[in-house]
Amino acid sequence: MSAVAIWHRYGRGLAPLLWGAGLVGLLAWLPRAEGFFRWLAPGARVVIYPRDDFTALLLNHLALVGVASGLAILLGVGAALVVTRPWGRDFLPLASQLAAMGQTFPPVAVLALAVPSLGFGALPTVVALVLYGLLPILRNGLAGIEGIDPAVREAARGMGMSPGQVLWRLELPLAAPVMLAGIRTSVTVGIATAAIGSTIGAKTLGDPIIAGIVNGNSAYILQGALLIGVLALTLDSLFEALTPRRR
Amino acid sequence: MTETPRIALKGVTKRFGAETAVDAISLNIAAGEFCVLVGTSGCGKSTTLRMINRLIEHSDGEIHIDGQPIREIDPQRLRRRIGYAIQSTGLFPHWTVARNIALVPGLLKWPRARTLERVEELMTLLGLAPSEFADKYPAQLSGGQAQRVGVARALAADPEILLMDEPFGALDPITRESLQEELRRLQGRIRKTIVFVTHDMDEALKLADRLVVMRAGRIVQQGSPAELLAAPADEFVASLLGGRDRGLKRAALTPVARLMRPVDARLPMEPAVAPDEDLRLALSVMLWHRVETLAVVDGEGRACGSLHLSDLMGGGI
Repeated sequence: MSAVAIWHRYGRGLAPLLWGAGLVGLLAWLPRAEGFFRWLAPGARVVIYPRDDFTALLLNHLALVGVASGLAILLGVGAALVVTRPWGRDFLPLASQLAAMGQTFPPVAVLALAVPSLGFGALPTVVALVLYGLLPILRNGLAGIEGIDPAVREAARGMGMSPGQVLWRLELPLAAPVMLAGIRTSVTVGIATAAIGSTIGAKTLGDPIIAGIVNGNSAYILQGALLIGVLALTLDSLFEALTPRRR
Repeated sequence: MTETPRIALKGVTKRFGAETAVDAISLNIAAGEFCVLVGTSGCGKSTTLRMINRLIEHSDGEIHIDGQPIREIDPQRLRRRIGYAIQSTGLFPHWTVARNIALVPGLLKWPRARTLERVEELMTLLGLAPSEFADKYPAQLSGGQAQRVGVARALAADPEILLMDEPFGALDPITRESLQEELRRLQGRIRKTIVFVTHDMDEALKLADRLVVMRAGRIVQQGSPAELLAAPADEFVASLLGGRDRGLKRAALTPVARLMRPVDARLPMEPAVAPDEDLRLALSVMLWHRVETLAVVDGEGRACGSLHLSDLMGGGI
């Protein structure tokens, strides 16, 4: 088998492993890469971000995104399901409008609004991430369920399926690819957005970037950016591998 | 007749807000009868059909199945014993053909072996080779094939009653005609009680034992196709039946065999018609060949009678 054929066959499953290995490699290499970063930022006194261990920052970053995304998925998918039930239909227009509106709202603005009410640190960051991550999930959840051919639902009811059976055997499987795409967008955007949490005192991979900007140290900025980028790619490729293929 | 009708509608009314979609209709459908509801769009025929399996609840009156009011039956249970086929098929796009057909047996928790056997039986009955089609997805089927699967799914749990809402409405004329033909043949074997909705009068005439003409939520006339053609109740029914085209429609209901005379040895074997073909076709053949008598030739190519134009004119139709 040629390399291309191998990639074609196993690529989707292999990509997250490769990116994950890249991330681990990056974590191991960064603290030892003094020479490279000194060449990159010759004017700086310290070239490796010293205040925290990169692994600790990464884990903290992941924990923030994990908690926020988990909540966003629960709320977003839950809300999408509620407003598409016969008894929740009244709220469908409201939910659709909210989902559409949220896309025009920059994440920094959400953070700025969260601080006065919740103070500094991890909590307002999580709140902002949940609010911002909720919307693509809700929007795609609605699109996925509303996108099902009404004739299919009519037939399901006419054949004598219960509402629960319609939900589990019909609506969720048919909406899953679109829903998963929304979750993927939400998580990927969340990884990037969490970095902004560093501006309000949450410990994230944004710390080296903020410190770099403040001190004019481009080596710090690159270290944070590299880790965030590779982390986002790892998770994105993981979703790609998990998404069921449509026939 | 003292026998309980399979389906009985007594003064059934459906109101949507201030609008009355179905207005106090009464209708008895006997077991094994093929009943076609026909009328223009919005006459309430689909609503009537959907009230029978409680997809729409009736506002007034009573609907009985085998003498039992359907309000007393749990809707899901009721629907599982009534087959349902619709124009757009509503096949589950993420399930294979075999799994789609097995839907209701699955809901009724049939043993696996029995379900598999039934699915195979139905696919064969509807001309879908199981080896070729069982594992296909609905998107891979043609319109006619998808509709066959829809009918197979409706018949899967062997229901006594089959509701069909314009099942062939979206098909091209050739596929539609062949499926009508097959449905008629199938009904000859399975003898279900079928309620069939259509706006196509030719389809209705071809399929119905009993024709129910609806207009603005009411039944205008009901009876056998021949009865309606012989004496339409009013202008509306007459125009629905094709107006002055009615003569040919009536001819289409009568098989050649009905007016056949004994074999006439002097007649050439060409042009000819078969005894189970209809008189409309025979008339067309006569017109085409400019002859007043035709040989009647059976499937094996043997002459079995003759047909004379004068018999058609003599009130035989």
